[in-house]
Amino acid sequence: MEYDFSNCGYTEEELFSRVSHDDLDSEKITAPRYSYWHSVFRVFFRNKLNIVILAVLGLLIVFAYIYPMLTEYDRFGNLMDSSSKHLTPAAAIEKYGFDLKYILGTGASGESTFDAIWNGSRISISLAFICAAINMTVGVIVGAVWGFSKKVDIVMTEVYNIIGNVPYILFISVMVMLFTANFWTMVFALTITGWLGIAYFIRTQVVIIRDREYNLASKCLGTSTIKIAMKNILPFMTSIIVTLLATEIPSYISYEVFLSYIGMGLSEMSLGRLIYEAESAMVTSGWEFEFWSPVAVASIITVVLYVVGQNLGDASDPRTHM
Amino acid sequence: MIKYLLRRLLHGIISIIIVVGIVMVLVYSLLDRTLVFASDSVYNKQKSNSKVTYQYQQWEKYGYVDYVTYQDYISELVKSGELTEEERSEAASFGRKPENDSEIVKEYVQKFTDKYKSQGYTVQRLNAVMLTPKKVADGGRQQLFAYKDVPLYQRLWNYFTGLVSIDNINKVDGDIGERGLTFTLYDPVYGGDKFSPAIIGNGTLHRYLLYFDGTFPFIHQNFATINLGTSFTVNQGIDVFKTMSNSQGSYVLSEITFPTGYVEDSADDLHTATYVAGSREATLVYETRFDTDYTNVDLVRSGLSKMGYSFVIGIISTIMAYVLGVPLGILMARKKDRLPDKIGTIYIVFIIAVPSLAYIFLFKAIGGNFGLPTTFDMESSSKLMYILPIVSLALPSVANLMKWIRRYMIDQMNSDYVKFARSGGLTENEIFTKHILKNAIIPIVHGIPSSILFALTGAIITERVYVVPGAGNLLTEAINKYDNGVIVGVTLFYAVLSVLSIILGDILMAMVDPRISFTTKDR
Repeated sequence: MEYDFSNCGYTEEELFSRVSHDDLDSEKITAPRYSYWHSVFRVFFRNKLNIVILAVLGLLIVFAYIYPMLTEYDRFGNLMDSSSKHLTPAAAIEKYGFDLKYILGTGASGESTFDAIWNGSRISISLAFICAAINMTVGVIVGAVWGFSKKVDIVMTEVYNIIGNVPYILFISVMVMLFTANFWTMVFALTITGWLGIAYFIRTQVVIIRDREYNLASKCLGTSTIKIAMKNILPFMTSIIVTLLATEIPSYISYEVFLSYIGMGLSEMSLGRLIYEAESAMVTSGWEFEFWSPVAVASIITVVLYVVGQNLGDASDPRTHM
Repeated sequence: MIKYLLRRLLHGIISIIIVVGIVMVLVYSLLDRTLVFASDSVYNKQKSNSKVTYQYQQWEKYGYVDYVTYQDYISELVKSGELTEEERSEAASFGRKPENDSEIVKEYVQKFTDKYKSQGYTVQRLNAVMLTPKKVADGGRQQLFAYKDVPLYQRLWNYFTGLVSIDNINKVDGDIGERGLTFTLYDPVYGGDKFSPAIIGNGTLHRYLLYFDGTFPFIHQNFATINLGTSFTVNQGIDVFKTMSNSQGSYVLSEITFPTGYVEDSADDLHTATYVAGSREATLVYETRFDTDYTNVDLVRSGLSKMGYSFVIGIISTIMAYVLGVPLGILMARKKDRLPDKIGTIYIVFIIAVPSLAYIFLFKAIGGNFGLPTTFDMESSSKLMYILPIVSLALPSVANLMKWIRRYMIDQMNSDYVKFARSGGLTENEIFTKHILKNAIIPIVHGIPSSILFALTGAIITERVYVVPGAGNLLTEAINKYDNGVIVGVTLFYAVLSVLSIILGDILMAMVDPRISFTTKDR
């Protein structure tokens, strides 16, 4: 049936017009493509500060891992040369000519403080990453099971209450005395009970979201527990896990420094041990660089790792992806 | 509620026992016990057989083994009347080699071996080490002894049964006249005419079981004594609890009238007198001053105890942390994403990320530049030396409190009740102080008992950096010196505090927030 609208006073645009209908076109989804990790990095790099901090982190890693490979570091190389000990940066540069090695002066046995710091950083950063990797993996898995199963919850809460009351230092010192105080002993000592705190944290988070309505609905529709854990809960936990990681990694560096300071640290020259051995240099005028430079580098490393982690944690929260 | 708390307390006690058990396994079984001798000069001087026996004697003192020598066994037999004095010397002198034993010795060695083997001991006989056929080498005398590792359950049982000792009038052996308690209204320590009630015992371990004096908490009792474990290297022969709670520093002399009437300027605290058998006659010093064998007294010192210093510093810094941290956290939440919030966040990141050692040294350096004393001196009367340790302890807790207050308040800010209050026309001030704070503060309240109780234990790094003679270093010192008694005692102390602080925190939380109830019936 045809109507003639031309006489009704409507303009051309106000009138309905036919559009062609294509079955194939209607199958396409018009929303923009969404990729989770792509969005995470988009949000992360939107903040210009993150680029700067990431660059600093890159520089730190280059200095800690690549610089010691390119230069030779012998702690006792200058041991016999008494004029090379405890030099201020200015004196060291005057003695050896300008060299990156000597911009922080020299230490108690005439070694370059700059080289000592980066060798120490390598050990400390490696320790932190390995411990964090082990503790996070074990902690997240155990925490997830702990949160899901009510039977496991009863047992594990008691275990947590008991182990949590055994002084951490005691565990570590027993480990250090049982074996030698080398790198892997320290990893073992820091991970043997370290995962428990993380597991408890994850357990609490799982308990909070376990009984939310959408999970109950999922359960009612017959989704298996594993699928609920993987598809409903894990995505929710990603930002929590990343944020936790951001506090964990620097905490191991701090902890290593603390243990070295009380005399239970590594036998290798880690950052903590450098600080411990240079403690007396803090109050000796002219020697301050030996003490403050490892302290400063340790602080920079931990702050950078923390800020990167926190911002990555924020970015991995899908609510910020708008 | 009471029933619930009792159950919690029972749970707590069980976990404390397990914790002590784990620690005992760690220190007594896992650690290499020869490390005890690493810095023992006496051990290095011992030779051949006597080195072995010295080892076992020391291990017995440290609590690793039960160690009985053949001589001890013979003496015991003499005491019980099985052997006479004449037979003793004959039976006790066993030969350089088993073949050389006389008939009577053979008989008693066999009895000794049978008795202790049946109890699970290992009996060991070391033949004499000869220099020449006639001459015994240095330290090479023949030895016969039995030893056994103390099993864990027995160790735990002994430890917990000996934890509290109750003084009674049959506590000490020996002939000390009429045993009994006397109650007096006029304490003889103060000359006998000042009104000060006291209970004095005869036959008890302590002379004074109840007395008043001028130091906190003014009334003191000695009926029950806590024994956390005897120290061996850190503070030889003294109980851990005493190590932590006895005052330190230089002696304070005052005019003291001793029980005999002798008057002297002395630091002796007569109220702490304990019984030492035969001590009065042993030296002239005691004989002129004391009329009984209650001669072992503590000395009055000018300083606080280890726990005292830690607590003073800890409690002031805790108060400071709450006074500063709570308002600053509220400020950050109110000015979210504005300047105060940003500055606060930078500070929080600094404290969380930077190693605690680094910023404590930084505070020390800054404080030193302002002329504040950077080391602690017990003899100094200046209160300035407290400032830096307190500040170093308080600033991290301030950051921590700020972080959580801000988080909890921001979480509450989007709640419906806040929107309702706002639509009802309340001012922002009222909403924050009367509505949000009340809800946000609840989780913070939970931590208050633990921060007060753990002020007693002290802080390891702060005390070390500022040389505070506090309790924080006790555990690390004990570990470094292999003082097992102290390690176990300190762990028990920490565990009790942590169990108590969680329970107290829950009670406090339930008091602040009436919605929280621990009894399911009330719901």
